[in-house]
Amino acid sequence: MFKSYLKIAWRNLLKNKAHSSINIGGLALGFSVAMFIGLWIHDEKSFNTNFKNHEHIAQVLMNKTDNGETRTRYNHPYPLADELRRVYSDDFKYVAMSSFPGDNVLSFKEKNLNMHGAFMEKDVLRMFSFNMLKGSLDALNDSNAIVISASTAQTLFGNEDPLGQAMRLNNDAVVTVKGVFEELPNNANVFESLAAFSETKKLDFIAPWNLYVSMYDWVRTARDRKLWDNNSYLVFVEIYNQSAMQSINQKIEKVLYDNVSEATKRSEPQIFLHPMKDWHLKSSFKNGVSSGGAIQYVRMFGIIGVFVLLLACINFMNLSTARAQKRAKEVGVRKTVGSNKNQLIRQFLLESLVVTFCAFLLACALVVLLLPAFNQLADKQLVFPFAKPLFWSVGLGLILITSLLAGSYPALYLSSFRPVKVLKGTVRPGKSTVSFRKALVVVQFTVSIILVSGTIVVNQQIQHSKDRPTGYDKNNLIMVEKTTDEFEGKYNALRDALQKSEAVLEMAESSSPMTEVWHSNGGYEWEGKNPDFTTNIVSFYVSHDYGKTVDWEIKEGRDFRRDFASDSTAYVLNEAAIAYMGLENPIGKTIRWYDGEHQVIGVVKNLLTESPFEPVKPAIYSIDYNETNWINLKLTPEKNLAHSLEQIEVELAKFAPDVPIDYQFVDDAFGNKFKTEERMRKLSGIFSVLAILISCLGLFGLATFMAERRTKEIGIRKIMGASIPNLLKMLSKDFVLLILLSGLVAIPVAYYFMQQWLENYTYHIKIPWWVFGLAILCVLLVSLFTVSYQVVRAAIINPVNSLRTE
Amino acid sequence: MLLQLNNIFKWVNSGGQRIFLLKDINLQVEEGEFISVMGPSGSGKSTLLNVIGMLDTFDEGEYHFLDESVHTLKEKHRANLYKEYIGFVFQSYHLLDELTVQENLEMPLLYKKYKGAERKAMVADMLDRFNIVGKKDLFPAQLSGGQQQLVGVARALIANPKLILADEPTGNLNSQQSEEIMELFKKLNQEDGVTIIQVTHSEKNAAYGSRIVNLLDGRKV
Repeated sequence: MFKSYLKIAWRNLLKNKAHSSINIGGLALGFSVAMFIGLWIHDEKSFNTNFKNHEHIAQVLMNKTDNGETRTRYNHPYPLADELRRVYSDDFKYVAMSSFPGDNVLSFKEKNLNMHGAFMEKDVLRMFSFNMLKGSLDALNDSNAIVISASTAQTLFGNEDPLGQAMRLNNDAVVTVKGVFEELPNNANVFESLAAFSETKKLDFIAPWNLYVSMYDWVRTARDRKLWDNNSYLVFVEIYNQSAMQSINQKIEKVLYDNVSEATKRSEPQIFLHPMKDWHLKSSFKNGVSSGGAIQYVRMFGIIGVFVLLLACINFMNLSTARAQKRAKEVGVRKTVGSNKNQLIRQFLLESLVVTFCAFLLACALVVLLLPAFNQLADKQLVFPFAKPLFWSVGLGLILITSLLAGSYPALYLSSFRPVKVLKGTVRPGKSTVSFRKALVVVQFTVSIILVSGTIVVNQQIQHSKDRPTGYDKNNLIMVEKTTDEFEGKYNALRDALQKSEAVLEMAESSSPMTEVWHSNGGYEWEGKNPDFTTNIVSFYVSHDYGKTVDWEIKEGRDFRRDFASDSTAYVLNEAAIAYMGLENPIGKTIRWYDGEHQVIGVVKNLLTESPFEPVKPAIYSIDYNETNWINLKLTPEKNLAHSLEQIEVELAKFAPDVPIDYQFVDDAFGNKFKTEERMRKLSGIFSVLAILISCLGLFGLATFMAERRTKEIGIRKIMGASIPNLLKMLSKDFVLLILLSGLVAIPVAYYFMQQWLENYTYHIKIPWWVFGLAILCVLLVSLFTVSYQVVRAAIINPVNSLRTE
Repeated sequence: MLLQLNNIFKWVNSGGQRIFLLKDINLQVEEGEFISVMGPSGSGKSTLLNVIGMLDTFDEGEYHFLDESVHTLKEKHRANLYKEYIGFVFQSYHLLDELTVQENLEMPLLYKKYKGAERKAMVADMLDRFNIVGKKDLFPAQLSGGQQQLVGVARALIANPKLILADEPTGNLNSQQSEEIMELFKKLNQEDGVTIIQVTHSEKNAAYGSRIVNLLDGRKV
């Protein structure tokens, strides 16, 4: 019996090639989308789980409240780690400080390479359970040691044994390789909390903390003088008892507050542990509490995956039911020869299983084929989990559930035919079937319209933020980080040389890169300031030529000038700072800071240096040639770009021969800020197209069904004088109504979700009403195109033929 | 003269052979005639009726309807012609199941672009003439076969056609119902001057007409 069912199922598949391919193809599309999303979510969820002690590791974060606004930060004062180690040794197995990771120059013989790494206390190797390929977990005990990743070892030493090799770090200290660790996988990042700073580079080396202290005076000062108010270090901990996270949080809450100066106490610093499992998915904080992060995308895409699969299932139901009339005769014959209802249900379910299975195989093939493209799109390195039992068992479950879900309705419906009626050929599907299937179509189009309008909103938001005025000219602007001190004191010579080469119009130095903010300070005082107001203002230390180089817009007053000696202590403020400080007629006003009095000489339009989705922070620009980290270069636009870059490299090398030059285009760096959103736009765009495609397959089924059902009616109407346009209008009206109804359901849902999403961005668009109009119109046009084939065919058929059947 | 068929041929090709559905049909119909087309199954009666009704095409010959040469007309023009002058009555009534009696009657008027008030008046008049006012809100399924065909005839007449084409209008009816419909046809023909061409198997029904056309294998005999 089973064999006979299988045979019929197979022959049915082969006989109706168009129908089968729509059915299997639609379902396979749904499966592939679900698989891609599933793989992606699995990867997102697996972040940092390969650290053996991941459940016990946390990063120490701090909430600071200034003027009623709480911000969460991860940089701490030097003595904090010691304090935690000393007082709470029962709770913490390890406490380890780390510097901010960054590019440093490793030099070995003639090789000078920019390598990404950090200075960390020795316990980090045990804490993060680094897999040491060479050397031991104690490798960082020696303060002139360094541990490097396997790929760094390969780059620096080739096939030589790296252990014991000596090299220079930042042209300053000499370090000896004491260990080689296995590369961290893509989904592991010790500095995940800095991911907002696009800190996703691989860790190339770890240098010992003591070296950091001996190399940098300011670090040594912070240590020796126990500076509790200088926040420059990251702190990681490993706790003994995973469940104690909350209670430890309560214990340590006040540690900072109890030690900081009176001034800092006003911002009520509060520290807490951010467990490793949340590093990747819940990295955002709003007003001091976790506000999600990547988890939002995981949820969103999870929902999309389920819905797209649901759409595919609905399709399957619709198409199978639509073909009911063709199968009716078979049902009649089977029933008259003695099959009962259950046997028929089993038969149809088996057919559904066969189709689902084929679709699953096809989907696997599609996923394998498209995975590289998807990886590129999603910026991942996913592999098809051929050998993972989990994948196959989930897949099997998916097949069973889908075939049951998609096959049950057609099975029940088909098996309920009465043999006498079907054999006489008078069976006509009742109203309930039709409305059930219309409801399914409404669900499909609701989802499609939500996705399409979502894509439009994401697009609008990105465009809106991209069109936002930056306050400076990103074009032809490049920046080079000064990774060694070889550039120190050579500013004018360098500027002259570069300008003489004609590759560069103007050069300036600055403390922060154009697209980031590295420094902010408190403690500013001015006339009319509320004494209770604690200040926190971004600081940019720049050279005299900064304004000309980045082409900022002076709103009031003037730019820095060399011929005014007093400009060395002058301030240029941005508009945000003027508003923040409440200054009227700011030019000539005096601002006091720890180091003395400063005169405001100019106000510039806000320079967009951080997130394009957030308001620009108040900022002070001042002249300080000793605090600059970046060289900014305005290229001569008429010159050949490659040639200019070459010339610049030559000139820079003359000043710092041992430093590899890494330049970055400012507009690229600015564009990188939209990466997540761009990815979101692409993915949601693709999913929308797929959703529409799948829905249209279903609609095609419904149209076929409708055309069959209404053949007689169309014939009669035609003989009564209906013209073809009349009929097209009549037949399309139903579909248009269905889609409009879907639109009605979709608008509030889409509005709610998109509003939620936009809330993540302070600088965001208002959702314009036309988005929904456009989405509905899109879906409407595509679907009318889809049904048009069936509708036109039904309308032009000669009534003589359609009415002859009786 | 209402219409004239000259040497009409219609065929299909099947297995390399040409099978004639209509063969050299010549027929002239004057206004006010009541013609019965008779013949065994497959003799081409319905095909002839469809050709006359311009629902079907023919392969050779000439067809003049009023002053128009149908064989030279474009599809659209032809449709306008039959919409204006011809009403159809079917063996299985072909009422729309989803529409009430009143709505079924109104439907052809919608396609002929009559105004709402006009349509109402014409439908009311038909309901009156056929004595089915009480049934106007019923659906076809709630009527007997005879009543359904009554509505079918009313629908065919509502736009005042010059010609009624009826394909075995009483085929699904019992003898009493048949008689009523035939009486109605006779009355329409004699009192209102409507030209009628009906296809029938029954000698008795054929006798209501003024002329009988016999077909055999697509040929007039």
